Amino acid sequence: MKDSLVLLGRIPAHPDSRCWFLAWNPAGTLLASCGGDRSVRIWGREGDSWICKSVLCEGHQRTVRKVAWSPCGNYLASASFDATTCIWKKNQDDFECVTTLEGHENEVKSVAWAPSGNLLATCSRDKSVWVWEVDEEDEYECVSVLNSHTQDVKHVLWHPSQELLASASYDDTVKLYREEEDDWVCCATLEGHESTVWSLAFDPSGQRLASCSDDRTVRIWRQYLPGNEQGVACNGSDPSWKCICTLSGFHSRTIYDIAWCQLTGALATACGDDAIRVFEEDPGSDPQRPTFSLTAHLPQAHSQDVNCVAWNPKEQGLLASCSDDGELAFWKYQPSEGP
Amino acid sequence: MAGSQDMFDAIVMADERFHGEGYQEGYEEGSSLGLIEGRQHGTFHGAKIGSEIGCYQGFAFAWRCLLHSCATEKDSKKMKVLESLIGMIQKFPFDDPTYDKLHEDLDRIRGKFKQVRVRVSFGS
Repeated sequence: MKDSLVLLGRIPAHPDSRCWFLAWNPAGTLLASCGGDRSVRIWGREGDSWICKSVLCEGHQRTVRKVAWSPCGNYLASASFDATTCIWKKNQDDFECVTTLEGHENEVKSVAWAPSGNLLATCSRDKSVWVWEVDEEDEYECVSVLNSHTQDVKHVLWHPSQELLASASYDDTVKLYREEEDDWVCCATLEGHESTVWSLAFDPSGQRLASCSDDRTVRIWRQYLPGNEQGVACNGSDPSWKCICTLSGFHSRTIYDIAWCQLTGALATACGDDAIRVFEEDPGSDPQRPTFSLTAHLPQAHSQDVNCVAWNPKEQGLLASCSDDGELAFWKYQPSEGP
Repeated sequence: MAGSQDMFDAIVMADERFHGEGYQEGYEEGSSLGLIEGRQHGTFHGAKIGSEIGCYQGFAFAWRCLLHSCATEKDSKKMKVLESLIGMIQKFPFDDPTYDKLHEDLDRIRGKFKQVRVRVSFGS
């Protein structure tokens, strides 16, 4: 297990600052990082090393908390504590800020593009989730402001194939939203975590959702459609989500991020104890009651809290992580063959 | 003119009797003070909500007049959102403090207002 996660390289991505988040572009060739130094950096591979190809530093007045690539890979969104979200358009190695989305009352904590590329979601410490629509002329319009959470919303994420939006909050819940007659409504609330839910990840099929929390557990939720054979009750035509697995006792501090590899199904976590862990579902485990085993645990992956982990979407086993220590690290995950 | 039995009764039970009368008086006074305080509380909070929603409604009416001519498709999209907000406010049961979806609906109105404000303030 010790050798399952091997360090490939380390970069001081945001020196003297925190590196808050990482996002691979859909092609897996570029990695965007953002940090407390108010900048976004784009990293590309040159031979065996990673070099900084662009620095986007004029966009924000405060920490950039999250970045997200559009599904086509031509746009990058950056969410900042300055209450704005910038949309950058890629022109070869250059990025130009084409729009700034305003409206949130305070720090924007997360941004996410829907797989269709037409919708964008943002969330904030002002407890709201905003849904934006993009048209052919790159014009962004707010289509909904959702006030369902009762506290700071930490993360938003779109379902990989359905037009379903998920959000995680300081109010200990995960909420799901869908469109209903021209407006967006909260269609499910997932309760169970005992503290702030920091991040979310859907599995490759989109049937399961993983959430990680300040309560040091990871929870796996499964979607049950009305009329399901397991007899899970549903509210009208809305699917129900039930917690089918809880991973507890593995993390000694807050779990800040979780990433579900779309190629292999491996689950990576970023923890406040400076470690990175990887879990895999046990082969043959019951789909309604899955079990996961810890297949990699790297203590001291960074010298401070690990804020983000991100699987490369094209290269199997390539994992990137970043930390409060301002560093970005690349890892090769290879589960050991063994009895 | 009560017998000696009743006289002692009156003295012995005096403590309990005064306690009971005092409680009764206090309860009645508390109830009427509570009613006054409750009324003040309701008036204050009701007015706050009324003022907030009234502000949103006024804003929406004003913009509806301004966009009345609906020159562009953008304007008609804005109009649709404005009408949605106005509709939500008009449907809200202002005279029923026991309405079970009171806070939910208020939050939806607030969210809709924020959306409207952002939509009308940008673009041509």
